[in-house]
Amino acid sequence: METKENIIFENYFKDFSKYDELLTSELTIKADWKSLLDNLLKIGNKELASKQSEIDWLLAENGVTYNVYNDPNGLNRPWNLNIIPFIIQQKEWELVEKGIQQRSEILNLVLKDIYGERKLLKNGIIPPEVIYAHRGFLRSCDQIQYKTAKQLSIHAVDLARGPDGRMWVVNDRTQAPSGMGYALENRFSKSRVIPEIFDNINVIQPSNFFKDFNQLLLTAAPDHKDNPTVVVLTPGPHNETYFEHSYLSNFLGYPLVKGNDLVVRNGKVWMKSLKGLKQIDVILRRVDDAFMDPLELREDSYLGVAGLLEVVRLQNVAIVNPIGSGVLENPGLIPFMENICKYFLDEKLILPQIASWWCGQEKERNHVFENLTSFVVKKIDRSQRENIIFCEFLSKKELKQLKKNILSNPNQYVAQEKIYFSTAPNFVNEKLEPRKVLCRTFSIAKGDNYSVMPGGLVRVAAEREKLFVSNQRGGTSKDFWVIGEENQDQLQLYSWNKTSPNNIISINDVPSNTAENLFWSGRYVARTLLTARYVRMVLNQMTNVQYTNRYQSDSEGLNILYQSITTITSTFPGFFDEDKSEEMLKTPLKEIISVIIDEKRIGSFAQSLQSFNGSYYTLRNLWSKDMWRVFDSIDKIWKKFKQEKNYSIYALTKFFDQIITRLIAFMALTEESIMVKQGLLLYFIGLQLEEASMTIEKFRALIVVTHDEDLEYEILESLLSSHESLNIYRYSYKSYLSIENVLKLLLLDNEYSRSLTYQISRLQKDISKLPNNNVNNEDTNCQKNIEKALSLIQNITLEDVLYTDDKSKIRMKLDALLAELSDLFHVTSMAISDTYFNHSQQQKQLVNRNITN
Amino acid sequence: MVVFDLWHKTKYKYEHGASFCHNLATLKPKNFKGQELLDYSLEISPLPTEISEHVDFFGNTVATFSIQEHHEELIVISRSKIARDFNAQVSQEDVNTRDNVTVGDALKLLKGVAHDIIDARQFVLFSPLISKTTPEIKKYAEVSFKPKRSLYEAAHELMQRIFIDFDFVSGFTNIATPLDEVMKAKKGVCQDFAQVAIACVRSIGLPARYVSGYIETLPPEGKEKLIGTDASHAWFSVFIPSHGWVDFDPTNNQIPKDQHIVVAHGRDYYDVPPLKGVIYSTGKNDMEISVDLRPAKESGLQQQTQKQ
Repeated sequence: METKENIIFENYFKDFSKYDELLTSELTIKADWKSLLDNLLKIGNKELASKQSEIDWLLAENGVTYNVYNDPNGLNRPWNLNIIPFIIQQKEWELVEKGIQQRSEILNLVLKDIYGERKLLKNGIIPPEVIYAHRGFLRSCDQIQYKTAKQLSIHAVDLARGPDGRMWVVNDRTQAPSGMGYALENRFSKSRVIPEIFDNINVIQPSNFFKDFNQLLLTAAPDHKDNPTVVVLTPGPHNETYFEHSYLSNFLGYPLVKGNDLVVRNGKVWMKSLKGLKQIDVILRRVDDAFMDPLELREDSYLGVAGLLEVVRLQNVAIVNPIGSGVLENPGLIPFMENICKYFLDEKLILPQIASWWCGQEKERNHVFENLTSFVVKKIDRSQRENIIFCEFLSKKELKQLKKNILSNPNQYVAQEKIYFSTAPNFVNEKLEPRKVLCRTFSIAKGDNYSVMPGGLVRVAAEREKLFVSNQRGGTSKDFWVIGEENQDQLQLYSWNKTSPNNIISINDVPSNTAENLFWSGRYVARTLLTARYVRMVLNQMTNVQYTNRYQSDSEGLNILYQSITTITSTFPGFFDEDKSEEMLKTPLKEIISVIIDEKRIGSFAQSLQSFNGSYYTLRNLWSKDMWRVFDSIDKIWKKFKQEKNYSIYALTKFFDQIITRLIAFMALTEESIMVKQGLLLYFIGLQLEEASMTIEKFRALIVVTHDEDLEYEILESLLSSHESLNIYRYSYKSYLSIENVLKLLLLDNEYSRSLTYQISRLQKDISKLPNNNVNNEDTNCQKNIEKALSLIQNITLEDVLYTDDKSKIRMKLDALLAELSDLFHVTSMAISDTYFNHSQQQKQLVNRNITN
Repeated sequence: MVVFDLWHKTKYKYEHGASFCHNLATLKPKNFKGQELLDYSLEISPLPTEISEHVDFFGNTVATFSIQEHHEELIVISRSKIARDFNAQVSQEDVNTRDNVTVGDALKLLKGVAHDIIDARQFVLFSPLISKTTPEIKKYAEVSFKPKRSLYEAAHELMQRIFIDFDFVSGFTNIATPLDEVMKAKKGVCQDFAQVAIACVRSIGLPARYVSGYIETLPPEGKEKLIGTDASHAWFSVFIPSHGWVDFDPTNNQIPKDQHIVVAHGRDYYDVPPLKGVIYSTGKNDMEISVDLRPAKESGLQQQTQKQ
């Protein structure tokens, strides 16, 4: 044991100077940590390291990401979770919890007051400038009151342990606090990868907290409506915490929507769904205050809903948290909190705060100026994200400039005492290392009180000596354990929405944006897969020719195949380029490679893959974890492939083999993870429509023109093989390939799933399941067109499609049929889009004032 | 006392029509001692699907309305009958206290926590369109605002100086023109002059607010007044502790009296646009505004004239 301890602690004591979670001032281990440390030593540092990488892997695999705006590494930076938890004993936690509840209640009362009577200002408890100079004070929200017991529903407090051993308040987050979802995922990952770390330790689980959270959303509905419709409003996939938005939407079972999914009409908020509009009662928002309503708030916002504030005024919708609550994220309030607490509750603050001086008052400002270097200076609002100035590091010139800045708008600045917060052990390179930590705790309104999550999200400074802790700037996180005396139940993995059935249960209620994305996902995945298969087939034929040289007609057969790539992918002129085609046909690989990897080329495989990525990513709240895993591996294979220098036929084929398997896995997972009533129907329609369209293009490229027998044989073989139908053909016909049988199988068969007739009849069935919004239930345009297509193909005979014009050697009736079907698919697709998708015209300001503030 | 008929029409034409719109109108004249709103109506075409009214943070009446059908144009007409009596608004006694408060006194008094003081203090702060103090503004203000001088006199002189130093040129500025540019070019319209004045007063540390409203214009002698030739107007107001708010019109170099009708107060123009909205449309839109403010005639006559 001794040696193990030595190894794991090797560096822990180096430059140890301040307060540490694990160590007493005599550098002995605190009793609180003993059980955990025993477990760690039992597991051993090698095993810990391997578990750590397993956690890293799991989080990446599960798609737990944290986006950083403008990150050169692109979206989706993986979320980091350190294997060593942060711990606190229940006894201490109970006091902290009381402190958090008290603070939530005070801020709740402040919020109610400053948008209501403003007694705090009238009675001189807070200087008016602390509120009026804060950008978060939204005058348009004046006098808006909610019927719920608490105005402030969700409150996050960042805590850190101060030199006196108590937990101190560092920040309040009140607009749309993030982190709950990450905290939950941290706990899940930990329990899964390293359950033995919990041995003999009773970690309190947040199950009840999340039940309360769900209850909060349900009871927030105006007029205590039964079964209210709740949605989660996100700014979209580019937001830093988008993972969490989709995670919570999934976890709680409420649809994830963007601003343009919602609309205000008749004094209510509605979600645009497949079957018209559905009234929304509660919005859990992750969009910042100012962006919520372009009519009354920021005019340049496209993330909110125009007219929303008026609906809130009319009390026809509840927003959690209320718009305007950002004014509480205000360090200018800190110096007055003690008085506010006394004023409202006649109590003392339970949780200590960092000593702060608001520069809007002369005496305090002078105090700050006298010894500026010992302070940390902040603005009262976060116009610039977490812009904190550590004055000790400033030059004389910079200090002078800072004073000037403060004087030019003193109301905007707060100076805070510099505090050395505690460090906690972090597992780095197989050893423990002390790092600064910041604990985000969560509190939500529950009846007359607040319910606090046991634990929360602990964030760790990116480097050993960093003062600064934030996810926006990178860094890692920890699971936060509150350790109790009693045995704890397992963390429940199900959605917390058991008591009230989810309201969104029918295809009618699918948001039209989601429906549209599903439709296009289906189209793009089909296009990507079919393109991959087709090009792979051509590559295979090229290899065959190289090695076997079977037929005389080889070069002619291949030429037809090369040109068919151009036709099927619509990458004209391609192999039809009049000037270059001869040259290209001799050395076809260059053009084929371009059709595969050129992202800028319309119709290329690369472009289909990109569109596939884009349309799927916006749906990730509907995904299962397996889907994410496969999605991620497709991405990795593609990235690796793009970096290759020489593309041999073999390398290309191998690439397609890998991609095709994964695409098929992805499609299968899509079908099992998303319910038809969640909108999967639209995905199927898109998929079938694209497959059917591409089948037509294949026929057009390969069999409309007749060829001599040998060549035709070869082409039919290629067609069947690209269609993955060669085996089926052999099984069904047990004969030499003939055009009659191929057309019977691929065009006219009623039961074979890859035949065009089958595909069209399935499309017809699926389309008829879409909501019908017509009066008298008259057939929709979508139905009419697809039915026309179905009757066309059902009424054509084998003789018809085989009929060949002697002069032109063209199968005229087949050609005409294909042309007509292709047109009908196009109008069907347009009709679906017109009938079901969201086509609001662009949002504009009546008067464009170009004001950004 | 004068009774006015006020008529204000705004028309928007959308190139490709609009499918939907949500709008806010801050058009209803205020009621206060010296200005009484006798009658008011808001006519909107096409007929809005919903309309409601609320009093905003600054005490202005704001109408919220939306139109949910496709429309090619939007017409908003507000009609009011207003009784205006400046003598009732300010007495001689008031005038004496008003004139005696110096700039220095005011700054000291503003540190207090009386309700009116607390309320006025927010108008010292920066606002959306007046978001910084430039040295030019401060220098310009300091010429008039000396600590021992009467605040009223200082503000009055500021009004005069802006009237003399600035040229009224329409089309040079728009809503988004920054204040420094107006200050540099010394030209603009009533809005700009009001905002320059507000910036100056605030640079001294004193409260000033923006007033939107109307002014009666008189026709050249011997001619009849044309209909719809008036315009929305704007001026500024300064808070004089222990007296109250006093209005100044730098565009016309006068203390607004019975010819000025007050509609709304705000920190600057941003808070009180007569009409704003979010529309769903493509293409351009054109706007046309006409205002008519004149002493009320026998009832009914005015209406008829307008329809001919």
